[in-house]
Amino acid sequence: MSTVYRHWEIIDRAKTGKFMDEEDFLPKRFYPTLKKLIKKYEIKYDPQNPCPTDDSMADRVWQAAWELFRDVGYYNTDSHRIIEVADEEIKEALYMAKDQYIVGGGKDACLMKHRSVEDPEPPFCIMSPDITVDEKYHQSMCMAYLKEPLLDGLCGPILEETFGHLIESGGPTEISGCIQHIQNQKMAARLLGRPDTFMVAVGTAEHDAGQIAVSNNEWGVQKTDARLVGSLTEFKTADTLLNRSLHYAQYGCFTGSLTGAIYGGWCGGSEGTAITTVAYSLIGLVIHGAMFNQHFPFHLNYVSNTTRELLWPIAMAGQALSRNSKLLYTSNGFANAGPMTEMLFREVAAHALVSTVTGWHLWEMASTRNKYRNRATPLEARLGCEVGHAVARQKMTREQANEIANRLLAKYEDRAADAPMGSEYHECYDVAKALPTVEHLDMFRRVKDEISQMGIDFLY
Amino acid sequence: MSLENLNKLVKEGETEDAKVLAQQLLQDGIDPLKMIETLTQTMARVGDLFAKLEIFLPEIMLCGEALTGVVDILSPYLDASGGREIKGKVVIGVVKGDLHEIGKNIVKLILETNGFVVKDLGYDVDSLTFIKEAEAMKADFIASSSLMTTTMPGQLEIIEILKSKGIRDQFKVVIGGAPTSQEWADKIGADLYCAHAKSAPEKFPAVLDNK
Repeated sequence: MSTVYRHWEIIDRAKTGKFMDEEDFLPKRFYPTLKKLIKKYEIKYDPQNPCPTDDSMADRVWQAAWELFRDVGYYNTDSHRIIEVADEEIKEALYMAKDQYIVGGGKDACLMKHRSVEDPEPPFCIMSPDITVDEKYHQSMCMAYLKEPLLDGLCGPILEETFGHLIESGGPTEISGCIQHIQNQKMAARLLGRPDTFMVAVGTAEHDAGQIAVSNNEWGVQKTDARLVGSLTEFKTADTLLNRSLHYAQYGCFTGSLTGAIYGGWCGGSEGTAITTVAYSLIGLVIHGAMFNQHFPFHLNYVSNTTRELLWPIAMAGQALSRNSKLLYTSNGFANAGPMTEMLFREVAAHALVSTVTGWHLWEMASTRNKYRNRATPLEARLGCEVGHAVARQKMTREQANEIANRLLAKYEDRAADAPMGSEYHECYDVAKALPTVEHLDMFRRVKDEISQMGIDFLY
Repeated sequence: MSLENLNKLVKEGETEDAKVLAQQLLQDGIDPLKMIETLTQTMARVGDLFAKLEIFLPEIMLCGEALTGVVDILSPYLDASGGREIKGKVVIGVVKGDLHEIGKNIVKLILETNGFVVKDLGYDVDSLTFIKEAEAMKADFIASSSLMTTTMPGQLEIIEILKSKGIRDQFKVVIGGAPTSQEWADKIGADLYCAHAKSAPEKFPAVLDNK
């Protein structure tokens, strides 16, 4: 079981905890504490090693993250109160957390379980474009992802319009858009013949009402699916978010906690980003009763996480979580480049490689800085997940992964700021058949061959 | 103690020490306008470092806070000597339904430290509130940020209400935020799309010049 049994105590604290002006929370409470912990635990970023192997530092990151959560707490912007937790509550939550869940249903059910560092078991692969698409491409794109053999879970594209109406958060169009979103996704799964595939839905819901509207075990988000509850950067929540986690628990589906520590923001550099990411897993567990944590630390300017200053905290956070807990957590890739570019394929490979050997499950892949409509496809997710399976099966070490990551980085990191935007979905996929074009597939195979020569033994 | 020391204190975000030194320098007869000009240049250099992420958000925030503290000390003396040039008045906020404000806060800081008067409305701001506050302040700009695609219509709503009230021409409407783009700005009829905080001090006056 997760820690939902504490929900009402958490909600109570969100209303009665220590008062603090929101303006003061980050500069006077969060940042000074983080800065002190980086120094206390001697956390030091090493740009030469995007996939570090320092077990001792990973354990110190864990300790620092624990203290960060305990000493800073979690701020509710609606009540201006801080939700604080004690050591024993964190310990209890970690003891009660399950190290595995069966998600999805029937023949499509999958096991998601805790991974160790350099685990020979492949990661659980959730695929998602993470972006918005035109209404006319939505179902095709859902189907295209569901055609991916390594997909264990799907988080579908986001709708901006529903039946010609612009979707507005909190309004009736959002309710309609959310229903359309889940029905497209479920219909695609049924048509493909994997009707009970695990789904994380619905990204179209920005407001809690949109999520609540699709809780229906017959036609909507089922109890074998998951929903996400986000965080406000950094370490802040609001009633609309607490509404979600309570609703998910009461409805009976799985809860994932969605957080993205910002490199260059209040986390500072790579060290603070690693610590904050780990702390968010504890927050997801204790505050929201999450069964898994979905992390997407990203660069403030690039809105990506495939450059070395982000790969390092991903690798460090993965090892910290893996070595010190039995939690479940997915690493969400954010690339600079767009679809059907060699750069994007290299970026996803580096992200999946480093994440997999450091204990993460995979969530691939937000392309084109997660900004542009229609600019993501399943093919980059395919490569990431093939890399994940391959490096797990070949029992790749962190040292080996580090060397390959450096070789991949050498091919793209100088283009992070001006990465090519590539193509839109309909330009590199046959929309009617939901399949990649020949040109797109050729590029995929070419880059895969190149990566294979670096030492990744693809399984097929 | 010198202007150089004041610069250093502001750069390091030592607000209280900077305020004390600014007071002292005033008593020593240093021109307040000269102090502001020097500190503004320092802030621009800090802004450049932040743009390249050679320093991070907490550092620039502290620096901005220190500069604001010094400006507060110097303001009465600046008024006496003709005042500091105000480049424009801005109401800024995050649109209705959106709770993400890190980008808005960075733009606000950059504008404030570059000679703009900024009223921050916070986040989850009703479209009409933007307009009422802009009218009350006699603002030049209404700047709105959106981080989510489903809250972007709030930026359109601001423009629609301005049109409905017959006051569209009174304000320059600026939009920004991760999912927004020049294409979206053109589509809704915004006057300026601000892609990066760093470009705001140059782009805002340029739009005003076209008034």
